[in-house]
Amino acid sequence: MVVVRLSTGVVSSRSLPQADREVLRALKDSIRVPESDMGRAAIPFGIAPIDQALGGGLARAAFHEIAAAGESALTAATQFVLGVAARAREPRAVLWIAEEMGLAENGTPYGPGLDDLGMQPERLVTVAAAKSRDVLCAMEEALRCRAVGVVIGEVRGAARLDLVASRRLSLAAGERDVCAFLLRTAPGTDASAAATRWTIAAAPSRASAGPGPPLLSIHLTRNRRGPVGSWLVEWNRVERRFDLAPSISEPVADAARDRPHRAAALGA
Amino acid sequence: MRLATDRIVRQRSAPDPRPLVITGRQGNVERLTAVDLAAARLGLKPGLALVEARARYPDLAVVAEHPADDRRLLDAIADWCQRYTPLLAVDPPDGLLLDIAGCAHLYGGEENLLADVLARFERFGFAARAAIASTIGAAFALARFGPAGILAPGAERTALAPLPIAALRLPEQTIAALRRVGLKRIGEILDLPRAPLAARFGDDVLRQLARALGEEREPLTPILPVAAYVAEQPFAEPIAREDDVMRVIARLAARLKSMLERRGEGARRIELALFRTDDAVRRIVVSTSRPVRDPDDVRALYVERLASLADALDPGFGFDLARLSVLAADSCPPEQIGLGERVDDADLDRLIDRLSARLGARRVTRLIANDSHIPELAAGSVPAQASLARENGWAAFRRFRASVELSPRPLRLLTKPEPIEAIATVPDGPPVRFRWRRALHEVVAADGPERIEGAWWSEEGGPARDYFRVEDKAGLRFWLFRAGLYRSTAQPQWFLHGTFA
Repeated sequence: MVVVRLSTGVVSSRSLPQADREVLRALKDSIRVPESDMGRAAIPFGIAPIDQALGGGLARAAFHEIAAAGESALTAATQFVLGVAARAREPRAVLWIAEEMGLAENGTPYGPGLDDLGMQPERLVTVAAAKSRDVLCAMEEALRCRAVGVVIGEVRGAARLDLVASRRLSLAAGERDVCAFLLRTAPGTDASAAATRWTIAAAPSRASAGPGPPLLSIHLTRNRRGPVGSWLVEWNRVERRFDLAPSISEPVADAARDRPHRAAALGA
Repeated sequence: MRLATDRIVRQRSAPDPRPLVITGRQGNVERLTAVDLAAARLGLKPGLALVEARARYPDLAVVAEHPADDRRLLDAIADWCQRYTPLLAVDPPDGLLLDIAGCAHLYGGEENLLADVLARFERFGFAARAAIASTIGAAFALARFGPAGILAPGAERTALAPLPIAALRLPEQTIAALRRVGLKRIGEILDLPRAPLAARFGDDVLRQLARALGEEREPLTPILPVAAYVAEQPFAEPIAREDDVMRVIARLAARLKSMLERRGEGARRIELALFRTDDAVRRIVVSTSRPVRDPDDVRALYVERLASLADALDPGFGFDLARLSVLAADSCPPEQIGLGERVDDADLDRLIDRLSARLGARRVTRLIANDSHIPELAAGSVPAQASLARENGWAAFRRFRASVELSPRPLRLLTKPEPIEAIATVPDGPPVRFRWRRALHEVVAADGPERIEGAWWSEEGGPARDYFRVEDKAGLRFWLFRAGLYRSTAQPQWFLHGTFA
């Protein structure tokens, strides 16, 4: 606690070297967990309308289906899943299980990129399965492991997921208190037992000179606990969270890379 | 004994009554290299020219020799012979050496062991001669040249004396040299003064003699390293069901556990060998990321492994021997159960082991950070079972990242940069549009360049790359680079390397 007070009040963190700021951020994170965790049941987005629709946030011990609007939007969907997973503040391991062909086609998770997002690469174990069936099997296996906190399965659009499979994944996720995501390259039309289903598309960012912060158009297409909806959210690289995109799409400069946003530095 | 001809006979679908000879070209002459029993009875011998053999007996079955197939067959037989002893060496072209010290009693004595070996070989259609002796040299000599059977320890001298010199496993020219001076039998050189013999015919003669007589130890080089821990279970009645196999694995693992515990070790690689009643051996290896001892863990790994086998465990007429050996072991301190977070780590390792056993170790990976600027080399993946050090270089990566300013890195990186057709307005600028996988993308925003060059002393990474972060009209964000500069290359090639959210 004392350390945080110092950082907010006495020492201007702008004068600190970058490495120390990283340390500070880690400390703040570690304190924020018990403070902000209003029950471990949900992962809050921190965006009022979305959290309201979800009843406090994305259910933690549940199975969620996240589909890219099209193959090209898969990275946007990946960002959404990882952004949420990073917000889960889950100290346990993250398993990423994908089809080998899918990884070859759409690219493999890239460590430095994950790290930028707040998802520590050392927590990640990647599994490249030969078939989509193996992906689901491995997911279920991983969900039953105590040491795993988040399981991300990735299947390509053609893969069909029957109700039995999604039901099994839901049950396994609920039993062990693990967050399970199924990442699909195309929205599924089949029935599913998932707690929520999302469709994610990339949206033009508020670019001035270079590409601005990533903007995603997210559609909650199914929600067991409440209403569905569509939002435009922007990834905030400094705070490592999603923000609701401003309604007026006026171009703004990307957050400066060399120094964190002032508000963040002051301990928001 | 007649390996080459037996191999042909075993492959035949219908019996052929004609005498069989195997031929090979030696110099310019096609000569017999092996004959079967019927041909041998006619007086045909290896070394005879085929023309001459045909002239004597026109009705011969002739097959060209294939030493590689013979060798493969011999290796397969050797593999199968592991049922008798783990210490086993191949003696090409057609011999096997088994070290049965300490094994004979399992079969009820040496006579029974010998009878068992010969009976099984006969059943498989191999003519075999076998001898048991105290030295490799004596056993070799007796099996090939002398009366086969069992030689009592200490009787080597008298048994070897009447055998030809060739029984000593000497080079061809040494045998010829000895024959030139009239020395044809081992007995004739046994009592000769050693020094002049060595001076004239080389040390080989003395060494082989000493080894055959047991005056000098001869090492046996086993085809497989002998495992440190072995547990095996023979079955009076062959087992075939997978359930039974799993039960046996659990029982053998329990026996291994007590052995491992005594030495404070745990298994890292385990091999299950299942010996079929016909001459086939099924070997299934599993690896673990941390030393294991618990029979349940071992059993769980084999459940996964067997489930993943492309060809189901084909028992044929059943397995009559199962052996579980620990190929690699590591020290494994006694585990404290309950308290502490380490239990979680062990849980994760168990999951990794199970997934690796089912899908293959190279498919279950962890990300590592490398000390390189080339993006595809900066982060790699290693089999999760091999990387117990969990930090994997990322702490150093973060320190580096905090000290220099790098533009954002993509979330997904293509395994290989894909060439694209791109049009740039200014030579060093970003492209205005590009075509990737047949789709045209109009660039509306771009950031860059970030120049990345390989180290000057190495070629890896190729020419300097200028990376750009671009966004197209639809809001898709890509990581592109131009390999080479316009100054130095007439038409630099553009590549797409990754995608951002």
